[in-house]
Amino acid sequence: MKLFLQIVGLFALLLCVTLATLSLKHRGADGPSLLFPGGKLVSGELHQGADPDWSFTDQVGTIELETSDPVSSRRIFVMESGGKIYVGSAYMRSMLGRLWKDWAFDVEETGARDAVARIEGVRYERELIRVNDPKIIEGVARKSAMKYAGGATPEVVAQIMKQVADGDTWLFELAPRSR
Amino acid sequence: MSMSTYIKVCGGSAVIWALGLLLVPSFAQAVEGLLLMFLSTNAR
Repeated sequence: MKLFLQIVGLFALLLCVTLATLSLKHRGADGPSLLFPGGKLVSGELHQGADPDWSFTDQVGTIELETSDPVSSRRIFVMESGGKIYVGSAYMRSMLGRLWKDWAFDVEETGARDAVARIEGVRYERELIRVNDPKIIEGVARKSAMKYAGGATPEVVAQIMKQVADGDTWLFELAPRSR
Repeated sequence: MSMSTYIKVCGGSAVIWALGLLLVPSFAQAVEGLLLMFLSTNAR
């Protein structure tokens, strides 16, 4: 029994060391890692002018998204629908989600909606706008299912729409900045 | 295992683990992948 507890204690210690080490390693870095947030997105050309045809993001698995209060960045799925791009934040009603997806709570609570998306090395200045329109959500859910869930079957699309409607997933448009 | 030996094992393991995460990118990525899998499965 004592040995079992010692092994459990060692694993718990290594988990804490992992979280602390990787969190410190990436804090302030030019972009996030796979899981841990990074700092301000610095490198890469800053896009100027009209928005591109966002359909190219269909070939992009994840983008890097920087939020402004506090300044931090993370890797996130992206969905194009109707000529606009969207990002989602899932697990929003779970305790782990509240820890993991704190950026979305920060955007909603502080109102700091300015964001920078780095897509294939190009930075785009954007504004995060929460989406609640069912028609928009359906289009985004369809794209999300196609890209990330193996196909846009009616069941999967309906499940994603329900997650958004229930508040388990928050959806944001990466809109052009209004100022 | 005596307490003093256990503390030495924990300390040594923690240092080696942290250095591995800092200095071996492929090791850090593998560990992050496991953490991500755990979160994706359990964050409900």
